[in-house]
Amino acid sequence: MAQETIVREEYRAVGKPVPRIEGIGKVTGKTVYADDMTLPRMLHAKVLGSPYAHARIKSIDTTAARRHPGVEAVLTSRDLPPFKKNESNRRTVIFVEGEALFYGQPVAAVLAADPHVAEAALALIKVEWEELTPVVDPLEAMKEDSALVRAPISNVDRSEERGHVTVDVQQKEAEGKPTNIASQMSFKRGDVEAAFAEADCVVERTWRSAMVHQSYIEPHATIADYDATGELSVWTSTQAPFYIRDELAQTLDIPESRIRVTATEVGGGFGGKIYLTELMVAALAMAVRRPVKYIMSRKEDMLAATPAPLTIVDLKTGMKRDGTLVALKARLVYDSGAFPGAPMLPGCLLVGGYYKCPNLEIKGYEVLTNKVSVGALRAPGAHNATFAIESNMDMMAAELGLDPLEVRLKNAVASGDPLPSGQPYPNIGLRECLQAISDSPIWKERRRSKERPNVGVGLAIGGWMGGLQPASAIVCLNSDGTINVTVGSADITGTNTSFAQIAAEVLNVPLSMIGVTTGDTKTAPYAGMSAGSKTTYTVGRAVKAAAEDAKAQMLEVASQRLEAAPEELELVDGEVRVVGAPDKSLTFQRLGRLSTNFAAPYAAIVGRGAIAARRWAPGFTAQVAEVAVDPDTGEVTLLRYAIAQDAGFAINPLSVAGQMQGGASQGIGIALSEEMQYDDNGRLLNANLLDYRLPTTRDLPPIEAIIVEVPSEEGPYGARIVGEPSIVAGAATVASAVADAVGARLTEVPITPERVLRALGKL
Amino acid sequence: MPKQPINLTVNGHPYEVAVEPHWTLLETVREQLALTGSKEGCGTGDCGACSMIVDGRLITSCLMLAPEADGAEVTTIEGLARNGDLHPVQQAFIEAGGVQCGFCTPGMIMAAKALLDRNPRPTLDEVREGLAGNLCRCTGYTKIYEAVMSAAQRTG
Repeated sequence: MAQETIVREEYRAVGKPVPRIEGIGKVTGKTVYADDMTLPRMLHAKVLGSPYAHARIKSIDTTAARRHPGVEAVLTSRDLPPFKKNESNRRTVIFVEGEALFYGQPVAAVLAADPHVAEAALALIKVEWEELTPVVDPLEAMKEDSALVRAPISNVDRSEERGHVTVDVQQKEAEGKPTNIASQMSFKRGDVEAAFAEADCVVERTWRSAMVHQSYIEPHATIADYDATGELSVWTSTQAPFYIRDELAQTLDIPESRIRVTATEVGGGFGGKIYLTELMVAALAMAVRRPVKYIMSRKEDMLAATPAPLTIVDLKTGMKRDGTLVALKARLVYDSGAFPGAPMLPGCLLVGGYYKCPNLEIKGYEVLTNKVSVGALRAPGAHNATFAIESNMDMMAAELGLDPLEVRLKNAVASGDPLPSGQPYPNIGLRECLQAISDSPIWKERRRSKERPNVGVGLAIGGWMGGLQPASAIVCLNSDGTINVTVGSADITGTNTSFAQIAAEVLNVPLSMIGVTTGDTKTAPYAGMSAGSKTTYTVGRAVKAAAEDAKAQMLEVASQRLEAAPEELELVDGEVRVVGAPDKSLTFQRLGRLSTNFAAPYAAIVGRGAIAARRWAPGFTAQVAEVAVDPDTGEVTLLRYAIAQDAGFAINPLSVAGQMQGGASQGIGIALSEEMQYDDNGRLLNANLLDYRLPTTRDLPPIEAIIVEVPSEEGPYGARIVGEPSIVAGAATVASAVADAVGARLTEVPITPERVLRALGKL
Repeated sequence: MPKQPINLTVNGHPYEVAVEPHWTLLETVREQLALTGSKEGCGTGDCGACSMIVDGRLITSCLMLAPEADGAEVTTIEGLARNGDLHPVQQAFIEAGGVQCGFCTPGMIMAAKALLDRNPRPTLDEVREGLAGNLCRCTGYTKIYEAVMSAAQRTG
């Protein structure tokens, strides 16, 4: 099905498809996730959520709940240990104090040894509410006369966003008269109005993309314990253990040396598992001095996690007859929900960042509403902007009678071209992705597809800048000659398998000799959050450096034992040999013993790797879809799909293809079925996985993955960011195919049957 | 609430468990028998992460009450490997890259086993139909299809 297998002769371990090293635990049910853990005397927390999107608490009476048999404690905002609250950061507003800002916002928690008891007692908490006007629609919220979502906030904390995309741009926070617009930004280049006047084709549309949920299959899960010595331990399903440690330390005023955050196996994150419930659970554990476990129900996770924003993009573009893009004017509105933190910045960069365009004007608005506040979803903010620009490109190409792929190739950015911010691209593979997708059978056979009624083929591109953060790793030689690799990054995409490949490559040993561990924040060397597609790109470099350091130490010892200069030595299959004299050798096992045994003459072999990541390595993708549209029901069936993506160098092509196919499937979900639906009162109508429709096996054909490799400047073996670009192009790709099939251009995703029928004028 | 005893066989071992009548089979197996391989992803029968085979039928164990399983023969993900040898479906999931985060994997493998038990050589369309009750968010299913087709070849 997929054609991703690349065979390389020049390397032993990297560049080859390797099954995940932890796979056996996962297929046998032995892998331990947070909800599989139990601590002695542990209590279960159940949380009461606000029944209103906007309301003020007049009183809370927890008496009856506290008296319920089996209940150990009932806690509201008044009952928590001291912590620093920042009104702009939802995590630090543990429970509603005064005003509830979204439906489902936590109000109180019940703790009991039996989770059923805790659940039952929630109904006994009496809250008297005063309902306030909910502001639900972001365009209404922007109006001068709109009711306010909340009291004005200052000192906005944007630290989490920077983990996903690291670019040197600031947004302007709200000032002056209170408004629901939390922040704004703008980019300008050239003279956009003059360019429109000279364009041969101008297209102007408004593109809407729905609020969607990451929908990891494992809901948020956290356990915390605060022991007698004042040390806080947190086991949690997170992509970002060190980030959580830092936040908990600041908020609870505990030294980072006294906090141990363990990233348990993550049952899916996609940007949604950075930092959410950990402070609440830690505070509860500190309040009762017992371990506390909190597992979100699916409903709670839908209501009160950090989904991806509803976005409205007004986009006007102008093109010359020969297909040259000359003008681009955009207004992007990101619905942030009740707290700031919407990914407006990457959207503003990407809407004008795929194509060379001498004249542009881009404005972004981050707007507050009384809905759950949003967070990151795989390339946060990118698919929304991409749906707009790619749809405009398609429409202009069609109007001018040009080939949509050729138009994109003609305008595509390359190394040195600037983003709207002015920052130039490094070496990138956008053009190569377009060329690769043009070779896909789906694109080549598009004319034959068109011969079938209501069948069409469409394509689109997407990209992502990626994040940057320092990283480190340790590589140790064990006494039996095997190798331990220790990192601090949560493995959410198979990165530990890639690290084993990198260490095996450097030390020239079979993979079976390498063990990789993700340590906790007290035992592991520092790593940034596993977000922004940067884990292999940054931590992989650190592992390579640490393995090289260990190798140098081993050569030093071997040089003395074998009486040969280090340059005359080589590492082969677990031995150090003198080049040209293979009988003069020292096994890794002997080296291990010489550096660990009682009275051993050499220091232990401990390789250290630490890097600062300064150069970004953006990843691009081109995708193509073939769809069939039922003109009577409006149903869209995906027939075939292919994704080409530049991975720089695929250290593990099996993982890379898996990331590409998985991200593409999420893009297809955004395109066809996923939408969090709120009513006028700000209540989520579909807080479950039946009515919130993820793609199922019946929706998704096999996805062809075509790995493109344009090496990055700094990544290990040329690897670049991989995880996120795959999701970016799905909405635009499917919309393009639907337009090709039935001649109707859908301006809103998801493309539901109802919207198709409306676009066809049948409703 | 008074507990009632039920008898059930899980992965070939007989158990007598005292359960509250509202407990699900999933929480009984996870909490009382400490078999935590089956996962709860939704609690409403929509995701399939809790799939088990009960008396030969694939079920979502989050929707089955423990008393309903009285006298039943239950197979969970922990019961597939024999004497340390993986079931061909398990082996194929690892090799094909059908495993990513792993949270849907136990249920997905149980669904695949149930499919191959009744249809040892399914077509791609039959695989897509057979796994339609199990959600995976990581893989896009492509490598899961490959794994099941490959397992079918090994067993069939």
